Amino acid sequence: MTEENNKEEKTAQSKEDQEKKPVQRPAARPRPRVKKEAPPPEPSPKEPLLAELVQQVTEKLGEQAIEESYVNQNGEHLLTLVVNRDHWAKLASLLKQEANWQYTYLQNCAGVDQQTYFEVVYHLYSLEHHDQICVHVKVDRDQPEIPSVVNIWPAANWHEREIYDLLGIQFTGHPNLQRILMPDEWEGYPLRKDYQPLDEGV
Amino acid sequence: MFGLVKGLGLTLKNMVKPRVTYKYPHEPLEMPNRFRGIQYFIPELCIVCNQCVRICPTDCITLTGKKSDDPNVKGKVIDTYEINFEICILCDLCTEVCPTEAVVMTNHYELATYSRDDLYKDMEWLSQNNTLVRKENTLHPLPKKTGAKKA
Amino acid sequence: MLRTEEMLLNVGPQHPSTHGVLRIVVKIDGEVIREATPVIGYLHRGTEKLAEDLNYTQIIPYTDRMDYVSAMSNNYVLVHAVETMLKLEIPERAEYLRVITLELNRIASHLVWMGTYLLDIGALSPFLYAFQDREKILDLFNELCGARLTYNYMRVGGVKWDAPNGWLQKVEQFITMMEKRMKDYHQLITGNEIFIQRTRGVGVYSQEMAIQYALSGANLRVTGLQRDLRKEHPYSIYDRFQFDVPVGRHGDLYDKYLCRMNEVEESLKIVGQALASFPEKGRVLGKVPRVLRVPEGECYVSIESPRGELGCYLVSKGKDKPWRLKFRRPSFCNLQILPVLLRGENMANLVAILGGIDIVLGEVDC
Repeated sequence: MTEENNKEEKTAQSKEDQEKKPVQRPAARPRPRVKKEAPPPEPSPKEPLLAELVQQVTEKLGEQAIEESYVNQNGEHLLTLVVNRDHWAKLASLLKQEANWQYTYLQNCAGVDQQTYFEVVYHLYSLEHHDQICVHVKVDRDQPEIPSVVNIWPAANWHEREIYDLLGIQFTGHPNLQRILMPDEWEGYPLRKDYQPLDEGV
Repeated sequence: MFGLVKGLGLTLKNMVKPRVTYKYPHEPLEMPNRFRGIQYFIPELCIVCNQCVRICPTDCITLTGKKSDDPNVKGKVIDTYEINFEICILCDLCTEVCPTEAVVMTNHYELATYSRDDLYKDMEWLSQNNTLVRKENTLHPLPKKTGAKKA
Repeated sequence: MLRTEEMLLNVGPQHPSTHGVLRIVVKIDGEVIREATPVIGYLHRGTEKLAEDLNYTQIIPYTDRMDYVSAMSNNYVLVHAVETMLKLEIPERAEYLRVITLELNRIASHLVWMGTYLLDIGALSPFLYAFQDREKILDLFNELCGARLTYNYMRVGGVKWDAPNGWLQKVEQFITMMEKRMKDYHQLITGNEIFIQRTRGVGVYSQEMAIQYALSGANLRVTGLQRDLRKEHPYSIYDRFQFDVPVGRHGDLYDKYLCRMNEVEESLKIVGQALASFPEKGRVLGKVPRVLRVPEGECYVSIESPRGELGCYLVSKGKDKPWRLKFRRPSFCNLQILPVLLRGENMANLVAILGGIDIVLGEVDC
């Protein structure tokens, strides 16, 4: 970023050249910044639902349970909660059992390497209420551990194994946490951003 | 008895129907025009813009350009152009981005050889692969300053 | 009482009935399966990792190779995710072409399933019929996009090619032909006493269990739950078409067969309607920026692929390459229930139950 700024200051007149040569790179950079500020004027229609959800969760589990909550404007206005790891196991069983939620269907479960920390993302669906939410749980990078939800949603079994396999997140309480896609003796976790491939190709 | 006649009737009916099998190795299969086969490369049209190399998902194209011998011609001309058919997946993206239709698809699909080395096709080979060339090639989805053509 | 010894049997990874490279380690006691452990990963190519180094157009050919029996839906889920993030408008004609190709692909995929499934449980001729019809669809695709299986047809903002001259008429002919063929299939298989006896009441599971294991597609609908994402969460232009969602009642293999065959009929209906209202003119590729930079954020989209809910979770950091791309592969999720279904079953039912789940190993291993 700083390099970018310096360039702009230094070479005001050679800017034209720059724009031609490195295929609009400098020109396209500021664009996301503009877009980021654009959404707030029109709040999502789902905003009240989110507030209601957050209120219900805090009532049951306390203030610390939810670290952050927002409506994902990019992804079809999906309600998104960032849940504290220590409260996740309790919240998970509540999300499944509570009568006004009943998120019985685990659509997807993905691990993301955010460089400073890991994230496990659950997409839950309620077949009763035809309602979908997304839950993020942040995991420490040095000690990647998170309670397993296999006993709540058996469907999470292979998803968690896959995340363990590719990102190296330990799911405590998982019945059979082994590598699933990679060979058992594989070293390293391929989907981590700092992963160095072992093979140099044929 | 009736079942036998019925079954034989079906057999006879199928006997007069047109053949559904091909005599493939003896007679080459005819592919539709849009078929994505081995590329044909036209060195004269190439402007060394490197777009095909950049879009290739498997990095199977390598090319080098040189300064033109003719001082009147601006820009580079192609020097070497190679496609590695060991890893080429014939996905059609190179022909799609080529602004001058220098690399186009043909209907040839036979790539089986006895040696892997034969799968490195150089510019000479590719420019002689000039039969059964596909008619519609660059589809310019993205607006381009130099002669946006629509196939 | 016959005394039997427990034995470990390895099914696959090279076994014709596992439809690819699935390996199942089965512990059997005589003829009864005590425990079955699927071992997967033989076809793992790291698509998700590779995608992190490719831009969005380049990923599309890679998705062809996931579920290679219905590559169109893979193509579609990726471009759908990118389009959702970019909030792009898709030209009408492109949407129609997408629906037509998606549904034709669904028919082709179900025909492959039907043919190979009956082959698995011992009927040879339906396979030949099914592949003959599927071949017609593949020829149509070959003409449309130049490949029979790896289509690489969808693009962000539309589709690559417009339909060639006379293609739509050919699709129409195919539809009429296929509607007649469906009657043949029903005559050949649906009422077949041997087939019914082999599949009725085998591999049964409850609706509750299906939900617990997050089954999707025909595997879920067979238990009576009417969940089809084309109806429930319409994407593309599926809300414009009239079609039913066939469900089963017993949750057994025969119902799965009926479900899938009825889905083929519904797909034929959708294609028919799409052809009837196909826009005369128009672009097939919308206006998209030259370099696709997806705004920072994430999204999860899911579509109804022939095998179930095919999802795509995309995390972007504002670059032209995805930060993280995760596919929710229906085959992968559906396969999880296999050990549960096999426990206590007869060895001879292994292939029947496995085939009923309808997996494609390219997708399981990704």
